Amino acid sequence: MPREQCAVSPASGWRSLGTRSLSALSVLIALGAWWAMSAFAWVPAVLLPGPGEVVTATLDILRNGYRETTLLQNVGSTLWRCGAGFILAIATGVPLGLAMGYWSRIRAAFNYIVQFMRPLPPLSYVILLIIWIGTDDRSKIALLYITAFPIIASSAMAGVRAVSQQRIQAAQALGASEWQIFRHVILPSALPLTFTGARIALAAAFSTVVAAELNAATDGLGWMVISASRFLRNDVIILGIILLGLLGVALSALVLALDRRIIHWRGVE
Amino acid sequence: MNSGARPKGQKRRLPEWMITAGSVAVLVAAWIVATEGGFVDDLFLPSPASLWDGLADLVVNGYKSRTIWEHAALSLERVLAGFATGAVAGTLVGLGMGYNRYVEACFSPFVEFLRPLPQLAYLVLLIVWFGIGETAQIVLLFLTAFPVSAIAAMDGVKGVSRQRIQVARSLGASEWQIFRYVIFPSSLHEIFTGARLAIGVVYATLIAAEIIAGSTGLGWVILDAGRFLRSDYVFVGVLAIGMMGLVLDYILVVIEHRVVHWAGKH
Repeated sequence: MPREQCAVSPASGWRSLGTRSLSALSVLIALGAWWAMSAFAWVPAVLLPGPGEVVTATLDILRNGYRETTLLQNVGSTLWRCGAGFILAIATGVPLGLAMGYWSRIRAAFNYIVQFMRPLPPLSYVILLIIWIGTDDRSKIALLYITAFPIIASSAMAGVRAVSQQRIQAAQALGASEWQIFRHVILPSALPLTFTGARIALAAAFSTVVAAELNAATDGLGWMVISASRFLRNDVIILGIILLGLLGVALSALVLALDRRIIHWRGVE
Repeated sequence: MNSGARPKGQKRRLPEWMITAGSVAVLVAAWIVATEGGFVDDLFLPSPASLWDGLADLVVNGYKSRTIWEHAALSLERVLAGFATGAVAGTLVGLGMGYNRYVEACFSPFVEFLRPLPQLAYLVLLIVWFGIGETAQIVLLFLTAFPVSAIAAMDGVKGVSRQRIQVARSLGASEWQIFRYVIFPSSLHEIFTGARLAIGVVYATLIAAEIIAGSTGLGWVILDAGRFLRSDYVFVGVLAIGMMGLVLDYILVVIEHRVVHWAGKH
């Protein structure tokens, strides 16, 4: 990726350590400001509970759970919904996208549907999905699936279409069969873009997960935050936001690491 | 472009637009048969006719004491306020982050944290802080646009080739001149791409923002209609929001072509 190649000068150990500790310092300052705001009562505690109260709430929820759900259960069901929707979207979106990139007729038949789905705001059809599918996990997974699917399909299609003609012709000239060309030329060239799309899709699915848990849910981090807001439990809201943020960061780091391992040829053209 | 990746030896191909048209026709026919034939309830899926009626009704009579244009204008106001502030602030921070690694170290934890955070999660906090009204909505849209623009601007600056900067430096340009005449113009393309991405997510978040809009805005119309299971209004509202998003995106593309007229020419 160009990011690593051109901008960052070969960072020696202490330099990257320096920026690391600067990051840590700025987070600490923000935490300190948060603590000061509540400790000196600059803002009313109803509006912004201090870090201490959030820690107390965390311990309480770890011990007693929140409204008959454990924290682990909430994190688990949020991750499960996200993961299920995302994996379904990969399983269907990648083959369809590759096919749309490879055969122009399949593209002609399906592309407009995918492009129509892409910009639809999830909150607009969440109620429709509940009416169609029901109030259980399936409608929530369907919502996340619909969010992720068009992004993945479009990027897989773009990946195939961006494969250079020379490579294909070179393989053809060397006598490669249609399948060999697909397997050894088109697929490896299309995977980097496909994976980039998958990263974007996972982020999109994750940021939709609270919308999925807005209606008719009984667990999940999004449910916890929304339910806490009804009872003005701001400590629980902040705990939920911190957990969601950290989960989001962890998920994108995980996919980035997978990307580096699987698509090790990215940027080496 | 794609012709090489296609099996050879096919005779008399159907033109592609006919395949698209055929596919649309099959879909619409299935829709008509399913709804008019009484296979699915109008509640589940409105028929094309009732969708048209819904559109006509919304345009003529408006929705709950406001015309559809008023709803659209109020939504547009919120979108522009949140997008403009968020994109400008995000771009400035992103330029700094790309330019200086210490600025990046200070801001990146927050930008990276904010970026994947579901908007609805912090909306509930914004409601407590700012109350139900315009401020909370605009802050929500600001926070949505901010990280997207920041990361795009940062990537733009980081993508500027070292050679250009070194050439400018060896020609005696000052740091400010390098930033003003080399780095900033070179990253403008990415900044505009970021702005277009940002307006996309701001539009997708508009409905979330208008959960607390009282009774105004297209997003509120969609939510309210959904609550009363008026799927026809929901569809019309989604189409209207989509159209507005497309128009704004197009305006940004036009501006980009005027401002970054050199894009793709190096």
